[in-house]
Amino acid sequence: MPPIIIGQYVPVDSIVHRLDPRSKLISVFLFILIIFLANSFIAYGVIGLFIGAAVLLSRVPLSFIVRGMKPIVIVVIITFLLHLFLTKQGEVVFQIGSMKFYSEGIIQGTYISLRLLFLVLFTSLLTLTTTPIEITDGLEALLHPLKRLRLPVHEFALMMSIALRFIPTLLEEAEKIIKAQSARGVEFTSGPLKERMKAIVPLLIPLFVSSFKRAEDLALAMEARGYRGGEGRTKLRILTWGLRDHLLLLSLFILTAILVWIRFYMK
Amino acid sequence: MAELIQVNDVYFRYNEDAEDAVKGVSLSVFSGEWLAIVGHNGSGKSTLAKLLNGLLHPYAGTIAVAGFLTDHEKHIWEIRRRVGVVFQNPDNQFVGTTVLDDVAFGLENNGIPRDEMLARIEDSLEKVKMTKFLKHEPHRLSGGQKQRVAIASVIALKPEIIILDEATSMLDPRGRKEVIDVVKELNEKENITIISITHDLEEAMLADRMIVMNRGEKVLEGEPAQLFAMHGERLKAYQLDLPFSIQLKEKLSERGIALSGQSLTHEELVDELWKLTLKT
Repeated sequence: MPPIIIGQYVPVDSIVHRLDPRSKLISVFLFILIIFLANSFIAYGVIGLFIGAAVLLSRVPLSFIVRGMKPIVIVVIITFLLHLFLTKQGEVVFQIGSMKFYSEGIIQGTYISLRLLFLVLFTSLLTLTTTPIEITDGLEALLHPLKRLRLPVHEFALMMSIALRFIPTLLEEAEKIIKAQSARGVEFTSGPLKERMKAIVPLLIPLFVSSFKRAEDLALAMEARGYRGGEGRTKLRILTWGLRDHLLLLSLFILTAILVWIRFYMK
Repeated sequence: MAELIQVNDVYFRYNEDAEDAVKGVSLSVFSGEWLAIVGHNGSGKSTLAKLLNGLLHPYAGTIAVAGFLTDHEKHIWEIRRRVGVVFQNPDNQFVGTTVLDDVAFGLENNGIPRDEMLARIEDSLEKVKMTKFLKHEPHRLSGGQKQRVAIASVIALKPEIIILDEATSMLDPRGRKEVIDVVKELNEKENITIISITHDLEEAMLADRMIVMNRGEKVLEGEPAQLFAMHGERLKAYQLDLPFSIQLKEKLSERGIALSGQSLTHEELVDELWKLTLKT
C-alpha cells in the first residue's frame, strides 16, 4: 500500500525541516504580524527575498509549493480586481470605455495580492517542512503555560495526535464501505449532485457507528496501558531548541527592524 | 508454583437489570503457566478478562492480583502494570502515530524516564521481532505485525501476566502463527504468565491448563488434552469446535480405526497415521 501523506509534509532533509517546531510556529505568528508593516515596493521586495531564502533553504521542490498556492490564486486575482475597479484615488493610468483605472488602485491591489501570496507561502512552508505530529508537539509546548488557566492543553494535543493516527485507518474503512455499498448498487461517482449527496448517507452512517466502536475500544486499551491523564507523564518526544532556532528568530527580528525602518524612517 | 491471581466467587453484570455476565466464578492463575479460558460468544470469557485487571469491577466476590485487590482505587495502577492486555482488534489499540510512539505510550503513562524508555522500547521490540519497523505508521503494518507491536507495548511495562483477549481472532493464519510464536517464547524464556481468552480450541491446545466457560459460569477445568479426550461431547454442546486432529481421530474410530495415544498435534497425528498404514 502506498504511504498516505497526511497534510502536505514533504519528507526531505533540510535545515528548515530540522528546526524546532516551536521556533517555526513562533516565526509564522510573528510573520503574520510584521507583514502589515510593509507598505512600499521596497518592503515587499525585502520580504520576498526573505521568503525566497527560506524556500531555498527548505529544499522543498518548487512544484509542491506551486501546487499549494493554486487554491489561493483565484482569491488573489479577485482581490486585485476589486482594488483595481473600486479605488478612485491617484491619477488615471488608463481608460477602457467609460471605466477609468487609477494608479492607487493598481498599487494597492498589487500590495494586497503580494501580502496574501506571501502569507500563504510562508505558512505553507511550515506545513511543508513539519509533520502534523511535530506541529502538535510544538503547540502543546507553546501552550503549556495556559495549563495554569485550566486549559486542557495535554488532552487537546493527545486528541490531535489520535485523530491524525486514525485518518488513514478511517480512509481505508471508508474505501471498504464504498466498495460494499457500490456492490449493492449505490452510485457514488455519477448521477446528479442531489443523488450523489444522498449516496453519502449510507457511507457516513456505518463510518460513524464504527468510529464510536473504535473510540470505545481505544479508551479501554489506553486505560489498560495505564493512561490516567497528563499528570506524572513523561515524554518520549523531546523538542530541542538549537542554534538554528535562535538564528531563525534573530533573522525575523532583523526583518522586523528593516521593515520598521523602511516604513517610518526611509524617505 | 505461586498463585498470581486469585478470583473468588465473582459476580458481574453490565447493568442493574441485565443478566449476570459472570456468575460465581472462582479460579486461580499460577505464576509462569499458560492458561486458556475458552467459551462460545457470550460465555463471559472476555468479561472475565476485563475483571482481571480492573477495567470492570464485580458486584460480588473479590479478585486479587499479586496480593492487590482490584476494587481498591490505589491498587488499580499497580495491577494494570502487572497485567498487560492485548485486545482483539489490532487497529483499535494502536494509540501512537508510529510503532515507536505506540510502545512509548504505556511507558509515558507510567512516568518512566526517557533514557530507560528508549532502552525498554528497543528491548521489547526485539523480543517481538519488530525492530525493523520502528518508524512505521500503523496503516503500513499487517494485522499480525500490529498485534506484535501491541505485545511489545505490553511487555515494555515488564508485566508478570499477559492477557490475550481474542488477540488472534481477527488475524489471518500467518499473522496468528507470528503472534502465537512470540507468545510461546515469552512464556518459555521470560517466564511471563499467559492467559489466553479464545473460542479457538486449536489455540487452547497450546496451554498448560484450560478453563471452559458457558453462560457466565465455569463449567470445566483441566489439562487441554484430558478435557478433549474426556469431555469432547460436552465441549461440542458448548458450541466449541474440537481441534482438527481430535476430530479426525474421532471420525476414524467411528470407522473402526482406533489410534493409540493422545496424538494432539498435527505431527503426532501424522506419525501415528503413517505407522498405521505400515502395519496393514
